[in-house]
Amino acid sequence: MSLELLLIIAFGGAIVTYLLGKISCRIREGFAVLISLSLVVMIACLYGENGTESIYFHFLGLPLIMRTNMLSWFFAMAVSALGALSVIFSLNYMKNRERTDFYYLMLLMVNASMLGIIFSGDLISFFIFWEMMSWSTFLLISYNRGPAVAAGLKYIIMSIIGSMAMLVGVLSLYATYETLNMATLAELIGSASSGYLLFLLIIFSIAFAIKNALMPLHTWLPAAYAEAPTPFNGVLSGMLTRMGMYGFLLIMYVIVGATRALNLGSGLFKFHYILAWLGAITIVIPTFIAILQDDAKKLLAWSAVGQGGYMIVGIAVGTNLGLSGGIFHTLNHAIYIVLLFMCVGAIQYRTGGERDLNSLGGFIKKMPFTFIGTLLGISGLVGIPLTNGFVSKWLIYKTLILEGYPFLAFAALIGTWGCILYCYKFIHHIFLGQLPGKYQNVQKAPFSMLLPMIILSFAILFFGILPGIPLKIIDTIGTSFGFKSMNVTIWGIASETGTLNTINIFAAVLIVSIIAWLMLKIGPKAVSVAQEDTYAAGAAIPKDKYHYTVDFYNPLYRMITPYLKDFIDAFYMKFAHWIQSLCNGTRRVYTGYVGNYVMYIVLFLALLIFIRLKWSL
Amino acid sequence: MQMIEMILSPLLALIIGIFFLGLSRKIMARIQWRYGPPITQPVIDVIRLFSQKSVSHGKLFNLGIIFSLAGSLVLVLFLPLAQICPLSGSGGMLVILYMMLLAPLGIALSGGESANPNTSIGISRKFILALGYEVPLLLILLALMTHYKTISIVHIVSIQQNTGWAFVSLPLLLSGIAYVLILPAILGIRPFEVVQASQEISSGPMAEYGGPFLALATIQHALSLFIGIALFVNLFLGGAGNLLIFFLKMLVVFVLVLFVNAALPRLRIEQAVKYLWRWPTLLAFIGMIIVLIVRR
Amino acid sequence: MDDAGLFSGGPNPILLVVVPLGFAFALPLIGFVSKKILKYIPVGVFMFNLVVALRLLPLVLKQPILVEIGGFSPPFCINLVAGPVGILFSALIALAGLLVAVYTLVYIKEGPEEKYHILYLLLLTAATGVVLTGDIFNLFVFFEILCISSYTLVAYVGNRAGIESSVKYLIQGAVGSSLLLIGIGLLYGLFGTLNMADLARQIVSVGSSSAFIPMAFMITGLGIEAAIFPLNSWLPDAHSSAPSSVSAILSGIAIEVGLYAVVRILFTLFGLSSFFLFFVFLGVLTLLIGEMCAFSQNNIKRMLAYSSIGQIGLILFAFAIATAYAVTGGLFQMISHTLGKGLLFLAAGYMIVRSGSMEISSLKGMGKRMPLTALAFTIGAFSLVGLPPFIGFPSKFLIIRSALAEEALIFNILIGLILLGTVIEGAYFFRVVQVIYFQKENEHQKRHEAPVAALIPMFLFMIAIVAIGIYPKLVTGILDSAASELLDRVDYIRSVIQ
Repeated sequence: MSLELLLIIAFGGAIVTYLLGKISCRIREGFAVLISLSLVVMIACLYGENGTESIYFHFLGLPLIMRTNMLSWFFAMAVSALGALSVIFSLNYMKNRERTDFYYLMLLMVNASMLGIIFSGDLISFFIFWEMMSWSTFLLISYNRGPAVAAGLKYIIMSIIGSMAMLVGVLSLYATYETLNMATLAELIGSASSGYLLFLLIIFSIAFAIKNALMPLHTWLPAAYAEAPTPFNGVLSGMLTRMGMYGFLLIMYVIVGATRALNLGSGLFKFHYILAWLGAITIVIPTFIAILQDDAKKLLAWSAVGQGGYMIVGIAVGTNLGLSGGIFHTLNHAIYIVLLFMCVGAIQYRTGGERDLNSLGGFIKKMPFTFIGTLLGISGLVGIPLTNGFVSKWLIYKTLILEGYPFLAFAALIGTWGCILYCYKFIHHIFLGQLPGKYQNVQKAPFSMLLPMIILSFAILFFGILPGIPLKIIDTIGTSFGFKSMNVTIWGIASETGTLNTINIFAAVLIVSIIAWLMLKIGPKAVSVAQEDTYAAGAAIPKDKYHYTVDFYNPLYRMITPYLKDFIDAFYMKFAHWIQSLCNGTRRVYTGYVGNYVMYIVLFLALLIFIRLKWSL
Repeated sequence: MQMIEMILSPLLALIIGIFFLGLSRKIMARIQWRYGPPITQPVIDVIRLFSQKSVSHGKLFNLGIIFSLAGSLVLVLFLPLAQICPLSGSGGMLVILYMMLLAPLGIALSGGESANPNTSIGISRKFILALGYEVPLLLILLALMTHYKTISIVHIVSIQQNTGWAFVSLPLLLSGIAYVLILPAILGIRPFEVVQASQEISSGPMAEYGGPFLALATIQHALSLFIGIALFVNLFLGGAGNLLIFFLKMLVVFVLVLFVNAALPRLRIEQAVKYLWRWPTLLAFIGMIIVLIVRR
Repeated sequence: MDDAGLFSGGPNPILLVVVPLGFAFALPLIGFVSKKILKYIPVGVFMFNLVVALRLLPLVLKQPILVEIGGFSPPFCINLVAGPVGILFSALIALAGLLVAVYTLVYIKEGPEEKYHILYLLLLTAATGVVLTGDIFNLFVFFEILCISSYTLVAYVGNRAGIESSVKYLIQGAVGSSLLLIGIGLLYGLFGTLNMADLARQIVSVGSSSAFIPMAFMITGLGIEAAIFPLNSWLPDAHSSAPSSVSAILSGIAIEVGLYAVVRILFTLFGLSSFFLFFVFLGVLTLLIGEMCAFSQNNIKRMLAYSSIGQIGLILFAFAIATAYAVTGGLFQMISHTLGKGLLFLAAGYMIVRSGSMEISSLKGMGKRMPLTALAFTIGAFSLVGLPPFIGFPSKFLIIRSALAEEALIFNILIGLILLGTVIEGAYFFRVVQVIYFQKENEHQKRHEAPVAALIPMFLFMIAIVAIGIYPKLVTGILDSAASELLDRVDYIRSVIQ
């Protein structure tokens, strides 16, 4: 399977989808699903292949190289699978909306350019696809109008800043080594000085940290996630943001190489150590901010920022366990966050776009499948054993503890406990409690929405109970970076300092659950009654809401709110305003009075002569 | 052998937990100059509850309580009771930490479906309180794991068997003291009885339970008492070579915390969290730094 | 004028100047025959020019073609030097001229159309003349034609703003012309010749510093048309009040030709390399001022005009680095700017016609009303910001690459500033794109696309932008030899004066 063909299908498919939309919506939708599914199949067929090919085009004398190996297969598989699910989810969600052709074009474009990024074997094609991804994402984020416009602008400006930094890095490599082929660079860079490598890592990190929403460069993310069309949120949060992770892996472990990358700087001020600390900060603060959110999508958005921290901590620690944990967490997070966004999407679809947590409630009775999906999603997010999130977090915690980074481990663990608070809030406010009167007639989510949710729910359990399957692949990636192989079994990890065995846990949980269930069965069968019976004890209850949701964690809010203002965002906005007034000031140069203009001309001539006399150039 | 252990250890935990429940009512009564119920009263209660009728609010209402009880039972399997530890090699401390989540989460999901405001308030308090004591608790546990360089609780116990209790070893002393300070919060007794708070929010999460549900909730409560104390005994008092000594240690700890329970009034939730985030956290933090210095 | 025959049967480069000039003068006569046919003449003329230029292109890559007028050989005659640079620019001018002429077919409906077409032809003829000539006085003459026709075209609409900015432009342009003339006069006084190659040869022998004062005058004079800061004050007014088709030419061709003249004088005539660093700074300053002013505009055409200043700054920066890479990048950026800005002005032109206002906020909902035009605008904007896969990316890439190759620390800072400029540029272009597509529009506005004759040129511009963006090799070969022609003084002198 040629990668060139794959990319042509991906990009061509996007354009053809757009054109088909001019003929008929049904054909377009069918074709979009077909294209995204065939990409999944094609990429699946690439499993285990290692190869490079240079494509026909040259860019300014630079060969464009595509390559496939385990790392790119892993990410490409995730991208294409989640992309396909998002397309399927969109079918119903986007029905009867305006500009759906444009929506599908951009959605498929984003997916295609992500595949391009992943399969790039040289930095120039990496950069080209990176930029294409950025601008197509920008167009999609702005799709919803209203506040989405500001969110999109914020995204693209930060994104450009990042890619400009990356451009400097790419070009500096080009100027130094006369090649941008990753494999060649990896060999040549061995002789580089530490200072240069540090410069490279920092300049690339700016780009990747912005994309991965690492604090303090995260500010685009909450608004963008909250305002993007919900089916696209899946792609956005699941893989697109994690292209930053891919980038970090690429620059740290593929190009610079583990041995050099983990030894830059001195003492506590090593590059990877500082990166890990930024990751830890990214875990803690956004987690607590997420607790404060009342908007379902904002809550998930801040949660995604926080979860990104785990991945960074994982790969920045620089051990085989940490690296595997980080990569695995990328996949796991993608699975459950896509699932959760889809659940929000389903709720929005049925309620007419409601996403304020306080005005929902009691949907468990109306949308049971969506509830199950959400339950599994938050279980994965918290990392309850037997869900996928647990395994990756376990790996990260373990390596942090054993390598002697207890404070990082503390940050990671406390993030999880904060996570429980907002996860419960999320599920409680939407699904539990009292159903508002106006939603009495809400229907189940349609099948095309349920299908991706079911698949993802299954994946959460599958990877949680049999983590060995993805971990084997990740272990191959780790060894290709030069790390020691882990002792992966299909049930987890075996080692002397602490073993993980998910099947034991699974069996135990299964058995005791049955026991507990039997215990409940012993007693007489419970009578099902209306929710307010016990509470009101027969008395009349208020017609409107009596369920406790608003200010759910009120005592905690009061304690933490003063410390959790988004100072960073405020600072950036202030800076932007400052730039704006500077620009306004600059405009004054052009006074509109022609006498001044002629004076400028004369002064310029005088300046030229002055320079000549002063420095006798 | 492992099968027997797997049956034995939850049973033991159940018996001891319920015994502790009975004991606590007796001791509390005696402190308050009452006669108190017989020590078997909880057993009688549970059996009676199983025969009573109850109401349910939906599937999750039933499943949540099962989930919660199952979580506690599985957690027991991970704890070494003297030499018995059926799931010693399946994930260690980290799994225990996570399993401690399951019980409250199950109750929360179950209670959440009832839409009773008291329940919701209780749950909200439970989570805030948990966040409150987890901060020092995690620091303490990480100090332990860092000091002993393992994430397996069985290793931690066996190292203590050889080198003496963690509580009296110098680097971990502060951590141990911090643990003692937060132990009532973990057990959910006064002064941290904010979740149940029967006078205030009608037993909070328990408000909607009756009949078999309440029976399971009581059993779960007993188990969580057991787990809280057993964890402390294992981590800081060196576990034990045989069951008898293990239970004696637990008994001593339990009676001591009962005195605290009897002597102190209930805090408000903010006061509780502020306290937890102040002194125990400070001690645990210093303890962690000491451990790190010793390790270097 | 029969030397062309020497070169393997290609057309004579002088046709590039003569044909449009002839038609410009013949236009009133043709007007007597048929008024309707008038507007098709520029289309035909530039199609012819494009064909000639493209046929010449492979020939000049091997060896520059010299055309000697009057039968004397240089330095005693007025000559045309059709090297890679000249023909490249001629082709570019012809291409832009052709496409804009097609656009004009429907765009210019009112006013003295006949004069418009005459001036349009003159403007582009003059531009072609400037890039082809090898004689410095001839350059001045063509330059004057170019300037005068632009003054008039700026005022074409005939409203107050147009006339005011035209007069401002005229005043500054006149100052510039006189400075240029003084410079040429001084040179003539010093060396007694007006042929560029001959002048260059003599300056080489006496050292470039002795001719500094004429150079300063000439640079200042030409810098006005080239829109180098602080000589560019006329530009925002002029470009924004001219008809959009004229703005496209003024932004895409006129200022670039001005910059070409500056560069030609700096490189070939004087070769004053010690002064290049000054122009590097000047380029960055121009870039920043242009982008920052554009950022704070509410008027779409003014915004585009300021953006042109920014682009010129970038091009100047590239040329002033004066390495082969950098000059290639500068030339590439010129092409990219011509295509991109041309497209933007054409698209904006019809959007302004439809909305009836130049305010950016009035473009709301254009994505729905005129989807193709909006698409054209978006592609132009993305290209100018330098996003792949559009032409702006490879050109910016080359420039920054060449700047990074300079070792000095100061270049790193300048690159940072340029990238900052790009970010600002991105900010204002994306803002407009959002207004076009994503702002809440007024209801009841039906789809009302630009006419086909206006869409065709936009479409061709788009194709060029994407094609070269994806496959830059289409032009890099020509650019490389053009860059080497610009940089290699000695070779230029040798090839002109055998």
